[in-house]
Amino acid sequence: MWGRLPPVACRLSSIAHRPSPIPDSHQSPVTMYSFNMDTSVLTRNNVRVFGHGTQPMLFAHGFGCDQNMWRYVTPAFADDYKVIVFDYVGSGKSDLSAYDPKRYSTLAGYAEDVLDVIHSLDLTDIILVGHSVSSMIGLLAANQEPERFARLIMVGPSPRYINDPPYVGGFERKDIEGLLETMEKNYIGWANFLAPAIMKNADRPELSRELEESFCSTDPVIARRFAEATFFSDNRADLAGIRVPSLIMQCSDDLIAPFDVGEYLHRTMPQSTLRVLQATGHCPHMSHPEETIGVIREYLSGR
Amino acid sequence: MTDRLSDVDIGVDSLLDTAPCGFVSFADDGTIRAANTTLCEMLGYARDELQGRRLESLLNLGSRIFYQTHFFPLVKLHGRAEEIFLLLRSKSGDDVATLCNAVRRQRGGEWITDCIFTRVYERQKFEDALLRAKKAAEEANEQLERQAMELEMSEQQLLEQGEELERQRTLAEEANRAKSAFLATMSHELRTPLNAIGGYVQLLELGIQGPITEKQADSLVRISRAQRHLLRLINDVLNLARIEAGRVEYNLAPCSLKEMADAVLPMVEPQLQSRGVRYSVAIAPELTAYTDHEKVQQILLNLLSNATKFTPANGSVTVTGSADGERGERVRLVVRDTGVGIPAERLAQVFEPFVQVDDSHARRAEGSGLGLAISRDLARGMGGELTAESEVNVGSAFTLTLPALLPT
Repeated sequence: MWGRLPPVACRLSSIAHRPSPIPDSHQSPVTMYSFNMDTSVLTRNNVRVFGHGTQPMLFAHGFGCDQNMWRYVTPAFADDYKVIVFDYVGSGKSDLSAYDPKRYSTLAGYAEDVLDVIHSLDLTDIILVGHSVSSMIGLLAANQEPERFARLIMVGPSPRYINDPPYVGGFERKDIEGLLETMEKNYIGWANFLAPAIMKNADRPELSRELEESFCSTDPVIARRFAEATFFSDNRADLAGIRVPSLIMQCSDDLIAPFDVGEYLHRTMPQSTLRVLQATGHCPHMSHPEETIGVIREYLSGR
Repeated sequence: MTDRLSDVDIGVDSLLDTAPCGFVSFADDGTIRAANTTLCEMLGYARDELQGRRLESLLNLGSRIFYQTHFFPLVKLHGRAEEIFLLLRSKSGDDVATLCNAVRRQRGGEWITDCIFTRVYERQKFEDALLRAKKAAEEANEQLERQAMELEMSEQQLLEQGEELERQRTLAEEANRAKSAFLATMSHELRTPLNAIGGYVQLLELGIQGPITEKQADSLVRISRAQRHLLRLINDVLNLARIEAGRVEYNLAPCSLKEMADAVLPMVEPQLQSRGVRYSVAIAPELTAYTDHEKVQQILLNLLSNATKFTPANGSVTVTGSADGERGERVRLVVRDTGVGIPAERLAQVFEPFVQVDDSHARRAEGSGLGLAISRDLARGMGGELTAESEVNVGSAFTLTLPALLPT
């Protein structure tokens, strides 16, 4: 169904996928791979590192957005940690030409991105903070190389979104299909809305940039595949094997990751701590950054 | 909630309350702070039922996920959202399609997102149709690409089949040439002993090697008749083989049609007279063909002897000549008889080698069955044509068309 990228909505990807008639060594991933693998991943995943501490705190964004969603939380940890944020390939300002439909059709492909970033910076003793689907992506990465991880902090995690009685995920398959339809409709609208907004602000490039940063995934094909990888995934079997201590941050009234799911995770994952936030919704790091920061700090200080 | 709306400006407030779009204000955690009457009516809620509710509870499940993963981050990061398609969920559980514009701003010490929802009816149908059309186009495109690939493959196959056919054609042509060469050689080789038989029969008949009895003379007549018959068959085969092998040479020259017809007459006259068939020639003396007169005579002889064979006593055989073509670039010789005729379904076959119209005729009329085939091949070899028309029990007409010698 999505075999071909539509002409308007795939603005970014169409530029990235089309071979440029003039070779541009600054942007060519091939050049970078051949000379310096590390640099290539850092560029590919738009990795940013800041902060004054030594222990790495790696923030992984969820489906639908990019590293910008961490901007209300990360400054609080910059004094004590080395903060690392990045965009998954296909999201934010990642290198869309590196997008491989097969690799990113399952969460394992996204876990490879996490491990690639970790290897590039040679990180150890990592605190991984993952939002939503990135909780499970982080879990998969930690199951592969547990020795590199110190803690997993899961913000609104769910190992499976679709009900599978007696397991309650909160959704039926048709609900996810409803999401895909809503996305489809909005990517039409967004493309129409975004293009003139950028053109109108041609004299203010910083605004256009901000716009682009705000739209975490403007490519409907990539977004749809990420949504399918996320909401049709089932990582329940990966939970029990986790060897890294974890914090499950459960929001009070989260429709995407209901309370039963947080309980289930806590029951199934050894060395897990469950904290129920007062914050409601699915994005406490955006809606309730102070509480989010507090809960993370408390957990880390209690080690 | 109503207080919040009403304590600003009565006129604008009441406008806002009943404006033709739903209006809702909510905090970052989604808690609804205000809603207008239009929204309540749109979703079938009483105003106080929305008190303390979260916006997400007014969305259908798919749109809830979209709200959390896209809409809220967008409003939070960008401060506004425009033309977002959301399906609201009414109190009775029905989906209400809307387009939403939102602005997030600080008010009364709190961050509030103000949202308007415009219902979409027709637009949604159009969008659905567009999406369906887009998908159909994509699928059609994929199918076309598949078909193009298949076509390319079948083209390749056709090319290969064409090459195979060409190889087979070459082989068939070679086989045919070999056959013609074989027939030509064998016919020639057969004629030699047949001529020897004929010669020795003559010697015996003449009594040169001693007197013969009446019975022996009778036998010799029979041997001689059989020998001549066999020789004629072989000559026909040889002729056909030569034509097919392309070994016939045509000496083209201006030839008078009348002279050629007259030259043949003596050869068939005895037959005509013995069978009691009338014969007439009507050819204008100026009609001239550019052709090989020997071959034309051979054709005419064949046509006339056929006509004679198949025409009963008191019938007639006529030869007529005429000009043909717009500029008289062709001439025609028609041999017409009042004979038994040829059934329509058999007419096309009479030019095939070894075909005679039926066995009873074949028995009555001796011949190899090659005469007409040879005649037509010869006619074509000279740039002409031989065609036939016939009606059973009325007669047949064979038309020989030849290139004319045009006055220059």
